[in-house]
Amino acid sequence: MPFPQFTGDEIRAVVPEASDVKYLDKGGQKVVYSCSIAGQPYVLKFLRPNPRPLADQDPDASVQQVSLDDVTARARREVATMKQCDSPYLVKIGPVELRSVKIGDEDLICFSEELVNGQPIKKLLKPNQPGMTPAELVKLGLHVADAIDVLWQHDKIHRDIKPGNIMQRATGDFVVLDMGFVFDLNDESWSMGPVGTPIYFSPEQMDFSNRRQILDFRSDLFSLGVTLYQLATGVHPFIGGAQTSWEVMTNIKNVQPPAPHTLQAGIPEALSDIIMRLLAKRPALRYRKIEMLQKALRESLPEGGN
Amino acid sequence: MLLAQVGYGRGQKVHEGLDEGTITGAILSPKDEGRDRLEQCIAELRESDGNAVLMIDPQFYVTTLNTPRDGHLPEYDYYAAHAGLSRTQFSPRQIERYVGDCLNYQHTTLSGVSYLVSPNIMFDDFRDSWSQIALNMAEAAVDHHGTLTNPEPLLVSIVTSEVALRSATGLAEFLDALSSLEANGFYVLVHRNSSSYQAAMDPNAMANLMYMVHVLASVNDYQVFVGYSDWLGMLLHAAGASGTASGWHQSLRQFNMARFMPAEGGGRARKRYSSAPLMSSPLLEPELEDIFRAGRINDVLTGSAHDGILRGGPAAGANRWTDPIACLAHWTSLHNILAPVSTGRIPNRLASATQMIDRAESLYARLAARPSFINFEAQTGPGHLAGWREAIIAFRAMAGV
Repeated sequence: MPFPQFTGDEIRAVVPEASDVKYLDKGGQKVVYSCSIAGQPYVLKFLRPNPRPLADQDPDASVQQVSLDDVTARARREVATMKQCDSPYLVKIGPVELRSVKIGDEDLICFSEELVNGQPIKKLLKPNQPGMTPAELVKLGLHVADAIDVLWQHDKIHRDIKPGNIMQRATGDFVVLDMGFVFDLNDESWSMGPVGTPIYFSPEQMDFSNRRQILDFRSDLFSLGVTLYQLATGVHPFIGGAQTSWEVMTNIKNVQPPAPHTLQAGIPEALSDIIMRLLAKRPALRYRKIEMLQKALRESLPEGGN
Repeated sequence: MLLAQVGYGRGQKVHEGLDEGTITGAILSPKDEGRDRLEQCIAELRESDGNAVLMIDPQFYVTTLNTPRDGHLPEYDYYAAHAGLSRTQFSPRQIERYVGDCLNYQHTTLSGVSYLVSPNIMFDDFRDSWSQIALNMAEAAVDHHGTLTNPEPLLVSIVTSEVALRSATGLAEFLDALSSLEANGFYVLVHRNSSSYQAAMDPNAMANLMYMVHVLASVNDYQVFVGYSDWLGMLLHAAGASGTASGWHQSLRQFNMARFMPAEGGGRARKRYSSAPLMSSPLLEPELEDIFRAGRINDVLTGSAHDGILRGGPAAGANRWTDPIACLAHWTSLHNILAPVSTGRIPNRLASATQMIDRAESLYARLAARPSFINFEAQTGPGHLAGWREAIIAFRAMAGV
């Protein structure tokens, strides 16, 4: 059952501090509104703690293998992560903390976060064309790497880094959104099961034959690599002729994509090498420290700047 | 960087090797030195060479052997308190104590060491429970190191075997875990299949060892020291190793746990000359003597400061070819072959290594052909070179270099 679109009055009845409420977007289990609280712009997220199968087979859609409890747990985790992890490149929590509300017959949970003034970088993707200049790619890499680093400093992995979860602010900076799938190493109640978006999965994110179950920030680095590759070339590195998410996942495990600079002449080889290293099949072959990646990114452009 | 792998009968060899500039430092052996002597030795070496790279191999892996030949190790509290360990004695709390005792000893007592080397146990399979214990000990070492005040950099010990190194899949998983450690580097030992010295190693295992070194050192920027590596150090440096080591006995030139088990006895080792051009250590008699008689001695000499003893004939110089001199000459040969493979990009290093192998094979072929007809024993013949070349080819394919 799709989310109904609530009126501003219905929302203000359960979040009285909000004004100027406007519908923004809708996802599988959530509906999002913009609003103003104490004169500042925020978004309000409403979630239905009752998972439903995806209405379509959009390969970009996130896996829905969650229980009723997991939806609430995930929202709690998202809020906690935004409160704990402070980075200019991670979306911030707003003044409305997690609360249960009822609108009509719907039992919902809601919270607020900052309203990012900008555009999702997903909109920059163009088939077979670069979506960004090399300098912008480097900046994107640096900013998302910082976000991944801050999460990891709190023993967290984002698990859903993708163009749809990154926005570019009007200032030009990038910000990572949607921490609903964050995995916390210190919270054993949260499963390491396959959550996230399959076509951005790292090989280890779907590998359960590995007894050591290595899943750390390097998994997010792989997803960042897929994102950078797509924006550099206009091509997803692992979709190729794949028809289903399962085929893409098989490619992720087995296929070595062509280096970006061989597809787009304007990509510096050094930057192309970094992207390919992020796409290494084994975590040990990526970067063991974010600062190593950031140094390489800064040095990847001929002029050295970002 | 070549380090002395120190064992019984140290004498002045390490000082002399440092003076000659063929070794850069030493890995000391608590099994072979009492506590006082070990501390004194480190202090003296540090005083005589401020830049020497000095560390100990804690040899904690001996704790899992039954009735080991552990020499002076029982004098060390970190060993004595935990000797005779079984698989059930590695709970997190116990591991914390083993690691803490060992690192605290080095940190507080051994002033002058360049690195703290973590204790570890040996494992034969990258996927068995001992390997998980090894990883737990590595993680505990990193954690404990973080609690010390101004500690020397940490090298995490990894003690595995030639058998384990045959599994590329198990190794890859293990490397994923190792490369998440916040250590400065690793001290790697590989238990060889045979306790008798072999310059050759199974090419598949060797390629995997090179890959391990490459991933840790070149890709992840750790310092990687491989102990007891002798001539194989050439391949390991080509793969990115920071340092390799060799000593004066055959038992210090390849690692085997037999070194820590009751000895079966054995005669005095025959005298050898370590030839950089051949990248092996032929016997003074008859092999080197035959080469001399064939008028080819200059082809195989390394150019060490001690070669003059043999220029008039190895048999004639044999009495003066003492064990310490043979050791110093050995280090010179290793030092010379490590130099071309210790700097530059990995593909270039591998090309240099392959060139040296080609030249050695060619020299062996010339010596075997008429009119020289030199016969070598299996241990000193060219057999190891083909295996090394095979290992390089396999490594290049694995690492994509």
